[in-house]
Amino acid sequence: MEAREVSGKTVEEAVETALSEMGLNRSDVEIEVLQEGKRGILGWGGEEALVKIIPLVSAGEGGGMADEGRAKPVEEAPDNDAIGETARNVVEQILSLMDVSASVEMIKYDDDDIPLTLEINSDDPGILIGRRGQSLSALQYMVNFIASRKHQSGVRVIVDVAGYRKRRQEELSNTALRIADMVKSKGRSIMLEPMLAWERRAVHITLRDDLDITTGSVGTGDRRKVVVSPKKRS
Amino acid sequence: MKELVEYIARAIVDNPDEVRITEEPTDDGVVLKLEVAQEDKGKVIGKQGQTAKAIRTLLRIAAVQRNVRASLEIV
Repeated sequence: MEAREVSGKTVEEAVETALSEMGLNRSDVEIEVLQEGKRGILGWGGEEALVKIIPLVSAGEGGGMADEGRAKPVEEAPDNDAIGETARNVVEQILSLMDVSASVEMIKYDDDDIPLTLEINSDDPGILIGRRGQSLSALQYMVNFIASRKHQSGVRVIVDVAGYRKRRQEELSNTALRIADMVKSKGRSIMLEPMLAWERRAVHITLRDDLDITTGSVGTGDRRKVVVSPKKRS
Repeated sequence: MKELVEYIARAIVDNPDEVRITEEPTDDGVVLKLEVAQEDKGKVIGKQGQTAKAIRTLLRIAAVQRNVRASLEIV
């Protein structure tokens, strides 16, 4: 699904309209505020709010498939065990071609919303994680891409090294909550450091039930950052 | 390292038989030149170069493991 720009009287209104038109939930998209919108005086000089709604692409659609941590389970049709095995083989193949000795463990959760995880254990986890997790992201992206092609369906598995993603996720949730408190007490927006897509998503999800703030993202590519803002009460 | 790039490229293109990789040695490593069918070029590059970037990242790990430098050109 393509990204869409939608306008409305307020940011909130524009987002609501866009989501209902696209039939998506807030957790399925990333929201970029292009224009805050102004109220104007006596009906003059007001400016509409403009937002860009970017659907988080699910696995197998090429592009940014692997990264966004989308909680949608893989379609039931192809059998999950076979997909898991394929993905595990791909990981093992890539590791061995990179000359990294490691073992790969497949972890299945009872909850269908949590994708299959391939946990890599290696003597040197650092090199597989890379700076800010970039190597791990590349590996996961490639594994999902290749496994999707082999199965001709959207494969979505998580690839983790020595529990890195789990730790990072907890760290991000804690940061998000701390930042939310600061935003509320200061009444001002706070911009976080640049993060990978799945990391930004962890922040959005942590804060999505907080009624006093909103979250969005600004910047492009490697410079994309989450912005936490106080919600304007109308 | 050539095998790594070959494995990945062949797995993601529609015409695996047309994947060609040539190695050009440099002082401290190697430059890999990846050639694919014209219609597959987009697949190995990806949206905003994402796939090419992922392949380069993985190639870097392989190079570090072998204590050499390696770079990838898509021709």
